[in-house]
Amino acid sequence: MNKIKYLLIPFSFFTLYAQAQEADSLLKALDSGRVESTVDAAFKSTHVVLSNSSETQKKHDLDLRIRHHFGDIGGRFGSAHTLYGLDVATDLFIGLDYGVTDDFTVAVGRSKQDELFNFSGKYKLLKQKTGGSMPINMTLFAQLGWIARSPFSDNEFAQYSDRFSYFFQSIISRKFSSRLSLEVMPGFLVRNNIEDSRDSKNIFSVGFAGRMKITKRLSFIADYTVVNGLSRPENLTTAYYNPFGVGLEIETGGHIFSLNFMNSEYIVENNFIPNTKKSWSRGGVRFGFTISRNFTLFKSKNQDPDKKSKIY
Amino acid sequence: MNRIRKITGVLIVLLLLHLSAGAQNFVGKNIRIGLFSSTPLEDIRAVSDQGNAVLIAKTREIVVQLNVKTLEFDRKLMQEHFNENYIESDKYPNAKFKGMIDQSIDFTKDGDYAVTVTGILSVHGIDKKRTIPGKVTINNGIVQISTEFKVACIDHDIKIPKLVFTKIAEFITIKTEGKLNPLK
Repeated sequence: MNKIKYLLIPFSFFTLYAQAQEADSLLKALDSGRVESTVDAAFKSTHVVLSNSSETQKKHDLDLRIRHHFGDIGGRFGSAHTLYGLDVATDLFIGLDYGVTDDFTVAVGRSKQDELFNFSGKYKLLKQKTGGSMPINMTLFAQLGWIARSPFSDNEFAQYSDRFSYFFQSIISRKFSSRLSLEVMPGFLVRNNIEDSRDSKNIFSVGFAGRMKITKRLSFIADYTVVNGLSRPENLTTAYYNPFGVGLEIETGGHIFSLNFMNSEYIVENNFIPNTKKSWSRGGVRFGFTISRNFTLFKSKNQDPDKKSKIY
Repeated sequence: MNRIRKITGVLIVLLLLHLSAGAQNFVGKNIRIGLFSSTPLEDIRAVSDQGNAVLIAKTREIVVQLNVKTLEFDRKLMQEHFNENYIESDKYPNAKFKGMIDQSIDFTKDGDYAVTVTGILSVHGIDKKRTIPGKVTINNGIVQISTEFKVACIDHDIKIPKLVFTKIAEFITIKTEGKLNPLK
């Protein structure tokens, strides 16, 4: 008899407990079947300061990007005589980035430096997952540079193919928290037009970049690319420096503005990776900005009335 | 011996009660939850078919939960901004309403019931006590729920910057509907 009593008590407790827990545990059971979601928006934009970020354009979105690099703030070419470099534009850039799919972006752009046209493709291969089964994003980037300016000397561009350069990069990033994202970018540049005769045509580079959100819409961004001291010859007559840029990025829903300081005169990888000749320590730092405006070209063809947005 | 039999009988009855209480649970996995923001300048809609719902008939307790990241907008950039800048889905992945149906319902009989549900609405990490009107329809043992209510962004500490104030409504309409099947 007593034994059964002892059985009864925990049993009734168990049923009571089960009742109280039911709703939440059932919900948990329902949730457990769900697939992991991706960790989106490691960066707000397809670019950090100088380098590309691991982000691609959304499907059917077109990004118009205008970039400016001014002259040296200090040193021989800076100071009040050039209004700290604002009188000078070392490079200007206008470009379009278009999302063919959410993972594949094509881009075209044109720089003042060398009248360089660039054509690029960017493909997001791996996406970071919330559950940890994929800890990183990986984006592949390839860019063709075409120098359109007339040659400076008779033997420059002896062959037409000398005008072309090819840049390949794999961009590996991780969003560590909603605030902090970091990336590393090993790259390889093949070019035919070299400024210093002792320089190598093929150059390895490793870039590092990061984003630290200050508020939801304002971030501190920085990137640094190691070029010199890797595969590049050391006895060059020209002093080359590693490009380093810092900036503030402001997002206002469709627009992104960034206000940057960097030592690199040039804007596109095919130019700034091999040819940065200014140094942060010798007044070679300059101001630059990026204005990016996003347009949705074709809205997705969904016919779902519950998903339709409309601008009046 | 007799006593033992009696008590075993009680145990069995209790067990059956417990099981039958279990049979009176309803769950739904594909609850459709949509949001709608309307201003003279812009209408914004988003929808997800991945809401979860649990209804305990005995206690009239109902829970509806949505992983807010599953909400789809027709513009992906807008969806990203919704997740990053407004709802902060990294920090607060779920929106949830957990409450008790105020009216009594016989879940074994077919019928329509206009009900109110009182409970806690958790959105963006902030809990608000709400009484939400809705409809419960029972048809062949399947429970259909539907509701439409408004949520004030300010109640859940969702800040709308001045720059887009004319494009995003202060009150967002939430529409929920779905089927809950009895849990076997």
